[in-house]
Amino acid sequence: MKLFNKIKCTVALSAVALLNGFAFAGDGVEQSFYPYKDGFPTADKIVPGLVINKDNADIAKDVLDPEMLKQVKAGWVEITVGKSTDFILNQAYIDASKNNVGKVTLPKEKGNLEGGYLAGRPFPEEPDLNDPRAGEKLAWNFQFGYNWGDGAAIDPFYWRYRNMNTDKVERELKFDFHFLNWAHRVNDEPLPEITPNPSELFRSIYVHVQEPYDVKNTQLLIHRYQNDLKRDNAWLYLGFQRRVRRLATGQVTDSFLGSDIMIEDFEGYNGRISDMNWKYLGTKSMLLPFYNHNEQALTDEFKEKDGYKFVDFHGKGSCYPNVTYQLRKVYVLESSPIDSNHPISKRRHFVDAQTFTLPRTIIYDRAGKYWKSWIIGQAHPDHHLAINKGSGVSVDDSFGMMDVQAMHCTTGQFKGIVDPNLNKPKMFKVQYMRTSGK
Amino acid sequence: MRLKLHYWNNISVFKKYTQVVGGVLLATSLSSYANDPVEISGFVENATSVREDRGLSKFRNTLQLEFSKNLNNFAGFYDVSLNATLRGSYDGVYDLNDKEFGAKAGSSISLEDQLVGSVPHGQGLGSTNPIPPYIGAPLPPTNVLGVNTLANPNSGMDVLGEHLHATAGGVAFGVPVRPCDVDSRGCLNGYMDKSENELRFSEFNDNLDFIREFYFDGSMDLDSGTLLNLKVGKQQIVWGRTDLFRVLDIINPVDFSRNNIYDELEDIRIPTWSIAAEWQYGANETFDDINFQLVWVIDEPRPNDLGQGGQPNAILDAGSFFRGMNNCWENGCTVANFAGGAMATDFGPNQIGIRQANVPSWSLDNTSYGFKIEGVYQDIGFSVNAFSYLSQLPSLRGGIEATNSFTGEEDVWPYLIAFDIEFPRINMFGGSLDFYSEDIDSAFRVETSYSTGEEFANTLKPRLFSDSDVFRWVLGVDKNVFVRSINPNKAFLLSFQTFGQHLLDHETQEAPIGIVGMPDWKDNYISTFLLKGWWMNDSLSPQILTAYDWRAKSGVVAPSIDYISGNLRFTLTANVKFGDGAKEFSDCRTCNPFNPFTAVPGIHNGDTFDAGLGGFEPLGRFRAGPIGMANKESELQVSLRYSF
Repeated sequence: MKLFNKIKCTVALSAVALLNGFAFAGDGVEQSFYPYKDGFPTADKIVPGLVINKDNADIAKDVLDPEMLKQVKAGWVEITVGKSTDFILNQAYIDASKNNVGKVTLPKEKGNLEGGYLAGRPFPEEPDLNDPRAGEKLAWNFQFGYNWGDGAAIDPFYWRYRNMNTDKVERELKFDFHFLNWAHRVNDEPLPEITPNPSELFRSIYVHVQEPYDVKNTQLLIHRYQNDLKRDNAWLYLGFQRRVRRLATGQVTDSFLGSDIMIEDFEGYNGRISDMNWKYLGTKSMLLPFYNHNEQALTDEFKEKDGYKFVDFHGKGSCYPNVTYQLRKVYVLESSPIDSNHPISKRRHFVDAQTFTLPRTIIYDRAGKYWKSWIIGQAHPDHHLAINKGSGVSVDDSFGMMDVQAMHCTTGQFKGIVDPNLNKPKMFKVQYMRTSGK
Repeated sequence: MRLKLHYWNNISVFKKYTQVVGGVLLATSLSSYANDPVEISGFVENATSVREDRGLSKFRNTLQLEFSKNLNNFAGFYDVSLNATLRGSYDGVYDLNDKEFGAKAGSSISLEDQLVGSVPHGQGLGSTNPIPPYIGAPLPPTNVLGVNTLANPNSGMDVLGEHLHATAGGVAFGVPVRPCDVDSRGCLNGYMDKSENELRFSEFNDNLDFIREFYFDGSMDLDSGTLLNLKVGKQQIVWGRTDLFRVLDIINPVDFSRNNIYDELEDIRIPTWSIAAEWQYGANETFDDINFQLVWVIDEPRPNDLGQGGQPNAILDAGSFFRGMNNCWENGCTVANFAGGAMATDFGPNQIGIRQANVPSWSLDNTSYGFKIEGVYQDIGFSVNAFSYLSQLPSLRGGIEATNSFTGEEDVWPYLIAFDIEFPRINMFGGSLDFYSEDIDSAFRVETSYSTGEEFANTLKPRLFSDSDVFRWVLGVDKNVFVRSINPNKAFLLSFQTFGQHLLDHETQEAPIGIVGMPDWKDNYISTFLLKGWWMNDSLSPQILTAYDWRAKSGVVAPSIDYISGNLRFTLTANVKFGDGAKEFSDCRTCNPFNPFTAVPGIHNGDTFDAGLGGFEPLGRFRAGPIGMANKESELQVSLRYSF
């Protein structure tokens, strides 16, 4: 009888815990994915239609990062405020996230998540400044974010190298980029992982240069593993050699094809969590480049058969995406490299709390001086290509990477396509580079 | 029309077939898909080089056009495309510096004679018009010595090796150096017989080399889940993982006449009509990726273009050696320091030299074929390769019927330096791998091959050649290193490679006068080192490339600077050679093929063998290697390219 009572008591306690867990899970996930259900952030005088420029920049001092504020004050760029909008991520990703609440934990040291993480946002709970590892959790949320969904392509993808002082376009490259999640998939079959996957890959990025001639057919393949302690593998196919070269890690922190961007900068941060020390610095409301693509002042300088037009650029050196910014809930996150030979001292990321994208990052050189300004414009999928509608992907749609020391920038104009047919697994094999290379 | 018919009548059945098929396919595909866009890109380029002591050595103007056209799905294949690369060039060096490399090149020559200093070509011992003291020399009355000076006059020639070394007691003979339509002496039919226009416009020849590539590419998903990729047409098929060295990258022959060993292989591979079928299995429980490729080169066999005598770039100066030797065979020649190791001797026709080059024609038996298994296992990329092909390098086989200089008798004379050029079948088996070492932050790549059937000069053998199995390997390491005081934001690329070659059946022997046998080193190593940096968003890229042949003790250092501005690319390179240069080896003067007339007193005693007297020519070239043999070819090279 005692034993029965003990069992009954245990079951009851477990049920309470379970219910509490569900209640907690629901709150955490709701808050994480629907932060604006009770209204969008507001700031004094920051209203849609407002143009922030050097004459009135101070009204935005609380909603722009300090470096962007300086640039506005210097007359480098004007920012037009747009209406804040919800960027609801894919429902399957949200659903998967519910299973992580209270289960997924960080390892004692750096390494892999524990608790049977399968998919979704690993740590939907609100970060806590008192949690010394809150920054690491935010980083994981980005790493396992729904950035390009289970797979997507950017094709074409125009990069321009610009002199910020003269406004001169020095070089233009035309790419196609492709992304594929091998594991932690939530939407496109097979779920949750593409098998066989003997090396337990997590994600791959394949890059192909279409123009200009001297780098035509250059291809880059990056494999990231589920084991965060395992270093990425990267290969480069050089069209003029027709050979695949395995890249040393140092090459991912070099400028990529002469741009102002290193491979590690892709998507805001493209590396292992264990390569950095992460620090959560707080939550605030900020203006970030989130917008409806079809409502922006687009350029028709690149002709597409389907009539798609690309984001235009303006400001100093035409380095800034000419898009509207909206007030967003932002986590301020700092990352500093563990490798003492790394070319930077730290990055300050302004993480969009709803999408966990990195639309704004400030990069500091080894001496700690402000070096680069990284803007990645985020377009709502329902106001973009028809195929993207309903995808629940916050579409990377434009970028400007400014080297403020060299007064040089690289800009990017995207045609992001969330279509699994453009990102078949065969594309992310080393052999594909040899086969498709000239 | 007459010209066209003449051309058509003189090309092989295989070429006719491929050109007709190619033309029909091109016309069909372009007309059927006329509405699809054709992607066109390319460049125009001027490459100019100036060589020490020779002046202008290149003034090449190139137009290259690359076409790519997506076609409809065909017979179950998707992503079908037609890809073509056309290249035409004009090298003005044959007009602008024709006294060195064109129709006016060469001069009258004299050959070294250790008795009298030097002897004009055609006036040595045995000549009908000898200089003193060879007038009335006590030769056997049956001798047939003597150069046919009507067919082989003393003009338009260089002395073999004269731009690299003095004769220095060794052998030498005259090498006609004018284009073969200007001077046909020594031109090997079908092998090294380019006319002035074929030198000027190197792609416009019977092989239609202006069509660098023309192939269809398509993929098919098989029921097994495997993907089949098929490439059919004139193409480059590239194997291996290393730069510069061709251990596995042997499917296409290469054109060394373009810029010796210093151009990208991409530009000097000679594309061939081929079929490459690759089954891509993807990942399985063991491998991250596994693929199987079959290659069949259906083209007629083509040797490497080594450059002919009189061209600015002739690797190992083999073209000069061959041309001089064929001239000796056809017309006779004066050989420096021959008789008694001291007297310039006039050989008559059909006595010594190269009789002919037996370049294989097309037949099924002469096609090349092979397979490759390539994949990724954990962090290691690997391949296993096998290829069977006709040698792209010439083999000089002695043992041909020749005339005894002293008796006029025709026979096969052991150890006689009279050859045919052959291209034997070679079977290569090899593999490669690459991996990254996190501990030293470096990427490694390795290639190895084991080949059978390769032939090498060997003065220990009566036919003066033997075959040897060969083991080759390359180890390459890439590392990126910051030198922040010079470039704070961009690492330098350090790339180091060492190539090794081991001849398993190598043989040499100490003979009474010197070392005899195989002039190639039993073991040799060539190392390369590249240091490259980038500034101004990669638009400015200086580099230093060095290569050193450890046994030849010769090297090259090539600092260059590359600048890109928009569509323009400017490259300035200094190609500076250093080291020993020419090397000596037995030249078979003391082989005694015409016993007893050629015997060395006290050594041969009626036997025929190589006693070992030697010099720089002709076999020293195999010891000096391609770097050593170009020791006096330091150049300043400038290229300007506009891409579109």
